[in-house]
Amino acid sequence: MSGRRTVYEIYWEILMYCKTPRSFTAIINRCDLNSKTGQDHIEFLTGKGYLSAVTEGGKTSYTATPAAREYIALFSSLYQKLFDAAPEFRL
Amino acid sequence: MKPALAQFRKEITNFYVIALINIVFSALAIAFGVSSAVTAILGLAPDAGIPFPRIGSGILAMICFGLGLSWLLSTVRIFEGIESIRDTLCQKAEDISGDQMTCLIVRMLAHYRDNRKTIGTMITVCTLAGCGFFILGINIGLHVLSVTPSGISATFDAVLLIPAMLLTLGIALASILSSYYFTGFSKVWDQRLDEIEESECALKEKLGLEEQ
Repeated sequence: MSGRRTVYEIYWEILMYCKTPRSFTAIINRCDLNSKTGQDHIEFLTGKGYLSAVTEGGKTSYTATPAAREYIALFSSLYQKLFDAAPEFRL
Repeated sequence: MKPALAQFRKEITNFYVIALINIVFSALAIAFGVSSAVTAILGLAPDAGIPFPRIGSGILAMICFGLGLSWLLSTVRIFEGIESIRDTLCQKAEDISGDQMTCLIVRMLAHYRDNRKTIGTMITVCTLAGCGFFILGINIGLHVLSVTPSGISATFDAVLLIPAMLLTLGIALASILSSYYFTGFSKVWDQRLDEIEESECALKEKLGLEEQ
């Protein structure tokens, strides 16, 4: 996904994508991030325990932890709530 | 279907329709601007004096052409993003999961943030183009206009000009309506961006960023 996103939207996207193990390159490509920002976000999420890093054969892959599910659920409910009530755009 | 999904789908479809109508009318506006400019320029040749109404009409037609072009380019930029979101919504139909829906909402919000300025410009351009085309529409058919203390009287050219005049007035109406709908769309989505900003506190708290 590209375009202007908030940091929380980027975190959500990374966590969603990492439901299955993903490499650093795959994450930054998918989330349209540069390596510096991508590194910062991944380090933050790993530090908070939302991502776990596993190194096998010199390659590190990242997977969302069960704690990430709570963040994903909260994020989804907040964003879907935007369409539950007014305002609405109609013709 | 979940009410949130139904609402989201309806809004995207509505905006898609408006963007599509805008593309059609902005293309018509460009064509009509060029055609009116050419007519005004060719109409200059046989006259000996300086026909001010024709020059004015030519300049106005060129301005309308420019506004039409700007209108088209802005619409296409917005349309592309909306189209891909709408396509995904249509492909998934009823079996769209909550996560997929959230993903589309995030995409739409990112698209809106990217094009917020463009939509603002379009509101202005559509209003200006609407006014310009309205004057041009009246000017096309107007032969003589006299303003006297007792009232205003206008004589219009041949009946053949009426379709052209109606088309121009139609473009004017479409652009003013577009401006109205874009304003409505913008208001709603600005409000949603504000709501998201407010709800970020909960996400911050969840991530343990409160103390930072």
